[in-house]
Amino acid sequence: MKFFDLLRLILGNLSRRKARVALTAIGVVIGTAAVVILVSLGIGLQKSATDQLYGIGDLTLIDVMPTYGGEGGYYVGSGGGGPAISLSSELQEPALLTNSALEQLRLIPGVKAVIPRDYLGTQTVIRYQRMEGGVNIIGIGTNDLSTLGMEAGQGTTDLAKGTVVIGVMTPYNFYDPYQRPGQETPPPPELLNEQIQLIVIKWDQDGNEIRKTLSLRVTGILNETGGEADYSIYLPLDLVKSMNEWAYGTRINYNKTGYNQVIVKVEDPNQALDIADQITALGFQAISPQSFLQGINNTFLILQLVFGGVGAIALLVAAIGIANTMAMSILERTREIGLMKAVGATNRDVLSIFLGEAAGIGFIGGLGGIIVGWLAAQAINVIAIIYLAGQASQQGGAPPSVAVYTPIWLPIFALIFSTFIGMLSGLYPALRAATMIPVQALKYE
Amino acid sequence: MDSPLIRITDLKKHYQMGGTTVRALDGVSLDIEPHTFTVVMGPSGSGKSSLLYLLGGLDRSTSGQISIGGERLDQMDENALALFRRRTLGFIFQSYNLITSMNAAENVSFPMQFTGIPNAERNQRALQLLEQVGLADRAHHRPAELSGGQQQRVAVARALVNNPSLILADEPTGNLDTASGVTVMQLLSELHRSGRTVLVVTHDPRMTRFATHKIYLLDGHVVDEDEYQSAALEMSQGSNESLEIK
Ligand SMILES: Nc1ncnc2c1ncn2[C@@H]1O[C@H](COP(=O)(O)OP(=O)(O)OP(=O)(O)O)[C@@H](O)[C@H]1O
Ligand SMILES: [Mg+2]
Repeated sequence: MKFFDLLRLILGNLSRRKARVALTAIGVVIGTAAVVILVSLGIGLQKSATDQLYGIGDLTLIDVMPTYGGEGGYYVGSGGGGPAISLSSELQEPALLTNSALEQLRLIPGVKAVIPRDYLGTQTVIRYQRMEGGVNIIGIGTNDLSTLGMEAGQGTTDLAKGTVVIGVMTPYNFYDPYQRPGQETPPPPELLNEQIQLIVIKWDQDGNEIRKTLSLRVTGILNETGGEADYSIYLPLDLVKSMNEWAYGTRINYNKTGYNQVIVKVEDPNQALDIADQITALGFQAISPQSFLQGINNTFLILQLVFGGVGAIALLVAAIGIANTMAMSILERTREIGLMKAVGATNRDVLSIFLGEAAGIGFIGGLGGIIVGWLAAQAINVIAIIYLAGQASQQGGAPPSVAVYTPIWLPIFALIFSTFIGMLSGLYPALRAATMIPVQALKYE
Repeated sequence: MDSPLIRITDLKKHYQMGGTTVRALDGVSLDIEPHTFTVVMGPSGSGKSSLLYLLGGLDRSTSGQISIGGERLDQMDENALALFRRRTLGFIFQSYNLITSMNAAENVSFPMQFTGIPNAERNQRALQLLEQVGLADRAHHRPAELSGGQQQRVAVARALVNNPSLILADEPTGNLDTASGVTVMQLLSELHRSGRTVLVVTHDPRMTRFATHKIYLLDGHVVDEDEYQSAALEMSQGSNESLEIK
């Protein structure tokens, strides 16, 4: 039997039983709509969660810290360093981030750059004219911040001796310490190409304060990243090192003590986890924002499976409806089946016709379901965004862009799935129809 | 003389009904020549329908051989039987078996859907056949809107649609008044004259005038005309006697 003849016959048979087909399809509509809405909701929640996680930083960066081994922490390094990590094993071999270790990291496939960094480990004040600012000072072992994927909103990402590149939010952290009550708060300063003073403070054994002032020119302001960089200023690593040496009164030999922290930039965010694992295998501690993301994604995957499962149960109920309708239909049309066979339809023809009708009901229901589901998802979106935006403005966060998100594959998948469910539920009745003995089917009352 | 189109050898069809065996056909052997008009006669329950269904490949025999045009029906698988029914056979039922939700033209073209003939050609052929059975003006009527005789003529048109060489009809006039019945029989007779082999089951003696050959069935056996007549006489006397006793 030719495909188009089959299709024509199936469509004809379905349209001759409009009322019953419609009633059966409603079950599929509900089931498919449930799948579409619930999975869209799961994906929407995930999206808004990961959108907000964008703030945790660039997904191609891995923070690498040394492992000190033994009792741990003999290096009285600069304070305010990287994230606090509790060392689990005291018997761990120490793994220091020496230059040769950095070379090792550079050799890992997929690694684009390995850049050491250090924090200024003493009290500092930044001054610009009358104003003072409290900012995060980072010494970075590269002369171009663009190797870390940073972009300059104004000026340059190049770092040279005597220059500084600042995060976009740092001007907002400047204040006038001599401001009298009632006086107008000055606007954040325009710092590009301006000289700022970096004042480093230490105390001698008697508790006397000793200050050292450095004058630096702001040569670049970074684009907003949503992360740490926005509130930081970047200096050449050598400068931070020499200031730390001055503050502690000892020489620092990175080749002996290792760097406090190294940033590994990878080419592809999808490789970040894998590379982080390789770095961990070398004995270092590696933290990738990708691993947070993965944890969150796993959680949402479970949520989506649960949601999808609820929808699938609704579809299963619909499938029983299709099976029932098909069984009834085949009973009523037993003589028609007998006739089909008497005029030369093969078992396969009969099977195709009834499977096709069942699939057709699934398809019609699925089509209705994705339309209903999509409309409902849009409605939920409108309501939820109004509600969440109200909440966000109260709590001072960014309003979510989307609450329910329907990716293009979802309706396509839902349609294929509902059609398949239809076919599957029609399988048994269709097989029974196909294998009827013609005479018995013709004599059926 | 032509070699027989149909050769039946020791054909048996037994039904198991609980503990008892119903021998609907019990060793039937017969030949049917091509281009003949054969009438199968016999009282109710003698096995006429059973024989016709086996010839049409609509049922399986208990034992024995059926060969049609040199091919062994009893050895064919389901698929081969379907193709045989499609290509060689036109079957006409006592109860028409039209699809009630389709109009006359759709019913006639129905068997062609399985053959791959283009749609336009199918419609044309259906209308042409409806004209041939005198129902050109009823093409778009549903079975419910047709008389019994008209419905049976639609069924005849449908049986012809794949241009079969063998027409089997199981009491095609059984549900019809005499006039309609004669029209249908004349149609079948025309088919015979156009070169087809026609086999009609009936227990209406008036229909035998179209026949070139007659087969008599009694209790699952083929008998000759004399035997059949005396049995028929016995039966009618028997029933008279029982009526007189009452
Ligand atoms: N499916 C069946 N199961 C059991 N017995 C059957 C079945 N079909 C037919 N029979 C029996 O087989 C015998 C022959 O039946 P068949 O239908 O061939 O008779 P028939 O000659 O066509 O009779 P009629 O003129 O009444 O149509 C009958 O006794 C009938 O009861
Ligand atoms: Mg009969």
